Amino acid sequence: MVYHNYEHWKTTPNTGEPFLSIVIPAYNEEIRIVPTIGAIASHVSDLGFQWELIIADDGSKDSTVKITQELGFVNMRVLVAEKNGGKGSAVRRGMLAARGKYVLFADADNSTPIEEVNKMIAKLDEEGYDVAVGSRAAEGASEGKKSLMRHILSGGLRAIVRYGLRIKVRDTQCGFKMYTREAARKLHTAQTIDGFSFDLEVLYLAFKLGYRVAEVPVSWIDAPGSKVNARKEVQRFIKDIFRILSNDLKGVYTQRLAADAHSDSLHVPA
Amino acid sequence: MDMNVSTVSGMSVITLNGRFDAFEAPPLIKWFEDNVTKDQAHVVVDLGGVGFLDSAALASLVKGMKRCRERGGDLVICNLQQAVRIIFELTGLNRAFTIAETREAALNAF
Repeated sequence: MVYHNYEHWKTTPNTGEPFLSIVIPAYNEEIRIVPTIGAIASHVSDLGFQWELIIADDGSKDSTVKITQELGFVNMRVLVAEKNGGKGSAVRRGMLAARGKYVLFADADNSTPIEEVNKMIAKLDEEGYDVAVGSRAAEGASEGKKSLMRHILSGGLRAIVRYGLRIKVRDTQCGFKMYTREAARKLHTAQTIDGFSFDLEVLYLAFKLGYRVAEVPVSWIDAPGSKVNARKEVQRFIKDIFRILSNDLKGVYTQRLAADAHSDSLHVPA
Repeated sequence: MDMNVSTVSGMSVITLNGRFDAFEAPPLIKWFEDNVTKDQAHVVVDLGGVGFLDSAALASLVKGMKRCRERGGDLVICNLQQAVRIIFELTGLNRAFTIAETREAALNAF
């Protein structure tokens, strides 16, 4: 590890398209986010490519925005939201603002250690996948300190997702996913769900649109301080499964994608 | 995370390995409460095996440092991996702690 690489990244602006954008959605993360930024900056700056970090604030009421802005990293942007719109809305804003060839979103608690990004990059850049899904359920994954409640919930939900939505990955909810920028843009433009089950909708669309999706085993630690109310989220999750199916039947996704394609064509230079 | 305590030249050396987070902080705080006294207030914490620490872990080290200093000693940390060093810098705690490059340097820092 070379400290100089980190110093160079934080003080020297990228020139041209970064190879990687990392998006961290953040809602009241003043306690947890700075160590995570430090770990990410240390690891990724050593990988030998240009990259940017995007903090997608979700209307935080604490000092998340202030402390991240004060870090003053030239290749880090803080997207400030006026109000709390849900994790899905924060991720969407971050994904659509990303300039990198590839875009990763990672949770603010570093629950999937950033070192796992190397596997995700290999899937997209070397094996040609469009989407890499960090998975706690794939062979080779490890889960540290997962509570019994989380075990039961995740097992049940995996079955519902597999048979209800025909999503062919075993873990849809891990907060560690990477896309090509083109895939990120399409999928998050079509996304309608702003809550925690937005991943489900995005993956449903990824399979529907025929993207190549890889499930990548990652280590994951049930980091303290999770803001997820499990019971409430399960109810919403099941409701959102029906919402996704209903949206698809009504043609909502087709309309959104067509509108995006139209706006693209309007911006094509003569 | 693994935590091992040894005594070198009459000083306590705590060696930590693994991810150091809120789950792991309470045993360290308890160790400081149980073992740091006026007669035994010089402590080295070797973080060479720690690749990531969160704010709760940092807070536990600050508690330990305060307890040592209140009893006439100090807490010196050493062997920081790059990520951990950067986390100390970003949180400003690099200015609060005595940080040594090696364990030997830490033992000589008192």
